[in-house]
Amino acid sequence: MTRFNDLYSEADTFLHRLDPRVKMASVLMLSLLAFIMSSLAYLLVLLTFIFILLLLARSSYRKTAFAMKFVLRFMALIAILWPLFDPSGTPVLIRLGPVVITEPGIWRGLTSAIRVGCLATVWYILIFTTSQRDLVRGLVKLGLRFDFGLALAIALRYFPAFGTVMDSIIDAQRSRGMEFEKGNIFARARKYVAVLGPAIVSALKTADMLALAMQSRAYGARRNRTYLRELRMRLSDYVALATVLAMFVVPAVAKYVLSVPI
Amino acid sequence: MNAVVTAQRLPVISLQDVSFSYEGGIEALKRVSLRVAKGEKVAVVGGNGSGKTTLAKHLNGLLKPSSGKVLIGGQDSSRTSVATLARTVGYVFQNPDYQLFCTSVEEEVRFGPHSMGLGRDDESALVERSMKLMGIGHLREQSPISLSLGDRRKVAIASVLATSPEVFVLDEPTTGLDTVESAQLMATLDVLRSEGMTVVLITHEMRLVAQHMDRVIAMSEGSVAFDTEVEEAFSDSDRLRRCKLLAPPITVLAQRLRAQGALSKGAATPLQLVEQVVRVRGERR
Ligand SMILES: Nc1ncnc2c1ncn2[C@@H]1O[C@H](COP(=O)(O)OP(=O)(O)OP(=O)(O)O)[C@@H](O)[C@H]1O
Ligand SMILES: [Mg+2]
Repeated sequence: MTRFNDLYSEADTFLHRLDPRVKMASVLMLSLLAFIMSSLAYLLVLLTFIFILLLLARSSYRKTAFAMKFVLRFMALIAILWPLFDPSGTPVLIRLGPVVITEPGIWRGLTSAIRVGCLATVWYILIFTTSQRDLVRGLVKLGLRFDFGLALAIALRYFPAFGTVMDSIIDAQRSRGMEFEKGNIFARARKYVAVLGPAIVSALKTADMLALAMQSRAYGARRNRTYLRELRMRLSDYVALATVLAMFVVPAVAKYVLSVPI
Repeated sequence: MNAVVTAQRLPVISLQDVSFSYEGGIEALKRVSLRVAKGEKVAVVGGNGSGKTTLAKHLNGLLKPSSGKVLIGGQDSSRTSVATLARTVGYVFQNPDYQLFCTSVEEEVRFGPHSMGLGRDDESALVERSMKLMGIGHLREQSPISLSLGDRRKVAIASVLATSPEVFVLDEPTTGLDTVESAQLMATLDVLRSEGMTVVLITHEMRLVAQHMDRVIAMSEGSVAFDTEVEEAFSDSDRLRRCKLLAPPITVLAQRLRAQGALSKGAATPLQLVEQVVRVRGERR
């Protein structure tokens, strides 16, 4: 599998320039919107809108392909499996012993697949266009304690490093004759211990060392933190927020207040 | 090419025109060809990033060549699983913590032979022999992760040794060890060698190479810069410098004395040098 150190790519698009708080709020609202809407047509419109945003995010082809392969596979899986497990409604299309497939089942499967597609893609866009530093900064601005924000940032930073360690451990165990593809479930579970054990030990050692290194560089010496670059909302941020808010509120009011089926 | 050592004996490992690039990275090996014969003691040396580890990982199939061919015990590494190749070539990672996961040293050493499915008696014999060779019998009840770095290395080596490979590849096994631990480790490698095992050692410590190894493969920017017997390897200081290497002082001293006609042979250790001097003086009297 291809690994990326960070799905974020540096670029200068309006999505990159948006305030991270606005982006997080928008992503949240668009995700909720995908759940509010139950009509296939509207969901398709939303999906198209989100795909256009994805193109505007101008992420590298490899990263986009990597993310979209995952999303599309997941969507296909849902669309295929849903009708098998949800056979309510008529007309019945196929009846094979215990397996019943109905037409409404297929529609519901498609709807759910598109909903999940919207949801996953919109979060990918956030990660593609927001650096980890900005994400954490946004969260801290929204009230997260700085220590927690820093812990989160460090965890995100070390995640790929942890992947490399895991690869090395797997290689080390394969070099002493361990075969990960073979054996029954118990034998396999034991092999995972052989990878997770050293991985956890190594992660704890890293964490321990990192804490000491940060303390010896005077982390926590002063209570009040100042920032080099303060987050400040600009006109474009307000416009974007207002647009997404409208996109969210109008359908929500239509559905729950006016009972329009959407 | 080193024709002298390998020509007569059967190669256990042979690389033919092997090139390798990491994904999205640089070409870490460039058309490397070499053969390692049974019973050889080979040092792989070179500057940081010269491709030593990449080369070593080809020796047991952890990496497959992008082009060229690697034969391990006659098997093409591209078509054979690492687990199968591990029966021929044991590989010890530099960081022992990547390997240790059992709750006792004995269990750790037993894991390899046990998963190979040998009989109970063979298994125990291998475990005992490996622990004895590495001198860790007294630690058998202890938890591997709480041991000193030197002892953890020994446990890691014993746990690979217990799978009874023909070739032993070690990536910088003495880094971070004090002189006593390092000497002990090298002594055990000499024991392995005397048991007929082939040893491939990656290291930055030329003194150890001069003392314990027969042959030197020097890597530089992904290519084999030279591949000779130890004595010859340390004789050309310009060539060494180009490979970011430096001959050990004793070797240099012995070479200078020899060039002056004061000695008849080179020396790798102080003791050898003294013996040489004494011998020459004896002959002259
Ligand atoms: N997983 C990897 N992905 C990409 N490039 C790599 C990877 N591992 C090593 N390299 C690169 O390949 C080259 C050779 O690396 P290698 O680890 O084989 O060197 P080395 O001789 O073992 O160095 P050292 O003495 O530091 O251990 C280096 O330029 C290195 O940056
Ligand atoms: Mg290396």
